[in-house]
Amino acid sequence: MPYLTLQNISKSFGSARAVESFDLRVEKGEFISLLGGSGCGKTTTLRMIAGFETPSSGTIHIGGIEVEHLPPRKRNVGFVFQNYALFPNLTVAGNIAFGLKVARQKKADLLARTNEMLELIHMTELAGRYPHQLSGGQQQRVALARALAPRPGLLLLDEPLSALDAKNRQRLRQEIRELQQLLGITTVYVTHDQEEALAMSDRVVVMNKGRIEQVGTPREIYQQPKAGFTAEFIGTLNRLHGVWEQPDQGIVRVGNLLLRTSPARGGLAGSPVALGIRPEALVWNGQGANSLPGRLVSTSFLGPSIRCVLEVDGQKLIFDRLNHTVGFPPKVGDEILLTLACADLIVL
Amino acid sequence: MDDLSATRSLARVVRHALIVASGVVFFVLPLVATFLFSLHGKKNELGFSAYEHVFADPQFYSTFLFSLEMAFATVVLGLVLLLPTVLWMHLRAPRARALIEGFALLPFVVPPIVLVFGLIKLYSRPPLDLVTSPLLLVAGYIVISFPYLFRSLDAGVRALDLKSLTEASQSLGASMVTTLWRVIIPNLRTSLLGAGFLTFAIVLGELTLAVLLAWPAFGPYMALVGRDLAYEPAALAIVSFLLTWLFIGLVQLLTRTKGP
Repeated sequence: MPYLTLQNISKSFGSARAVESFDLRVEKGEFISLLGGSGCGKTTTLRMIAGFETPSSGTIHIGGIEVEHLPPRKRNVGFVFQNYALFPNLTVAGNIAFGLKVARQKKADLLARTNEMLELIHMTELAGRYPHQLSGGQQQRVALARALAPRPGLLLLDEPLSALDAKNRQRLRQEIRELQQLLGITTVYVTHDQEEALAMSDRVVVMNKGRIEQVGTPREIYQQPKAGFTAEFIGTLNRLHGVWEQPDQGIVRVGNLLLRTSPARGGLAGSPVALGIRPEALVWNGQGANSLPGRLVSTSFLGPSIRCVLEVDGQKLIFDRLNHTVGFPPKVGDEILLTLACADLIVL
Repeated sequence: MDDLSATRSLARVVRHALIVASGVVFFVLPLVATFLFSLHGKKNELGFSAYEHVFADPQFYSTFLFSLEMAFATVVLGLVLLLPTVLWMHLRAPRARALIEGFALLPFVVPPIVLVFGLIKLYSRPPLDLVTSPLLLVAGYIVISFPYLFRSLDAGVRALDLKSLTEASQSLGASMVTTLWRVIIPNLRTSLLGAGFLTFAIVLGELTLAVLLAWPAFGPYMALVGRDLAYEPAALAIVSFLLTWLFIGLVQLLTRTKGP
């Protein structure tokens, strides 16, 4: 039985539809990310789960209890805000103990739990500091500990890392994931950062214009994106346009080239087909079922990798090459050969 | 070039000195003059006899105590009325701001004399015969101090991320009352004390409402003393000035004792 269920949830603000026909089941202990651009309804969905917004229609169940008419304080949910929202008048320890105090826990239990949380976020020595004396990353750790201290059944995080610098963001996202797995707490995480969603989640919900576009594991979302929004939104995707040559064999003709895809997704012979290729799937001078000869049009140095643009039969392909090979890249204008495995050719 | 910059810095010094000097002339000189004048209670002798007279007058204590009580009631009732209003405006009804700001201007537009006649006319007959109750005086004081209470609280709430703090508190299991008591009020302490102090200062010196509603308040007492005597009113002015500063000092002391 899922721990969190959202059934046919919709939310309108005046005439604007923020969320439409949203259905989701989250298993106990699962880490789910709601991923999408700004205004796609991901934060509104999270706020409806927390009880800060009331759905216009639909039902929400947390731990088997219907909650859409319950106030936030009765939902047993921990919430971490984008801007931390720590209480400025309370110390780190005071902030963490807040939920326990409100629940009237015994003083000994309260102290023990607060210390346990402080240890978990490695901030025991900063227990007496006030929020304004902490860095952004430290503040967000305290916010996380504060949300987890009363042992909520569900943890909700609303873009918790977006106010941090890149280094802190990476470190903290790992810490959040480790903590979540350690505690086994069901988590819904809102982000617009696809790398974050892919790196942290068990499953990712891709959202667009208030609707779910695709739900799947990070690997599914990345390697088998649904045509349309998800394919465009997640990562960089090259598109090649061709026609089915031998659909039963999964063979597609792109100009003078014949490319082999997985046969299972073949269409009608002669019908047009769009193919997607991830830049990192293209291998220079490698071995693969498909060969793509072309002319190098441009290169750009990105540090760890080099992004190259190849012209294949009048269509442009981006491919990435790790920056470790002596003598690479070839000069712009050179003819080179790229290879590609069947499984890496995505039929859109 | 050096000459030019030297001339410019001299001009800046002169300009600043002029500003400070006009401030001193405007604010400090009258005070010094009043204080010196208050020391002339006895002929050809400087001393505190006027102050002795003031402190020897039992009416000084009774009127001051009365005004203190009224000020206290005004601050408490005013904050009880306005704090939830300002919070409600920020959290639920941002569009009500224009209306509330309009109300906050009214006490400046409607003179106290008009207000007090309005109050007397409305509340001098049953079922609302409140004209003999100090509650009506407090109500009038709340109207007069409304702009100061509102502005101070509004500024304090604006400086907080009220929505996130309230939501954070609620998601941690707190009711709205607990949130108000444990999160909002402690973080608004400075602005609450500021609002309280301004109200105190206004009520302690208020004249029109107290006179026309016939209450033995400190304002009318000062006016009465000023009509009949020469040096004592000056001494009273200095005393009330010092009391005002005492409250400012108390506010600062209270706001500094705890917290970030």
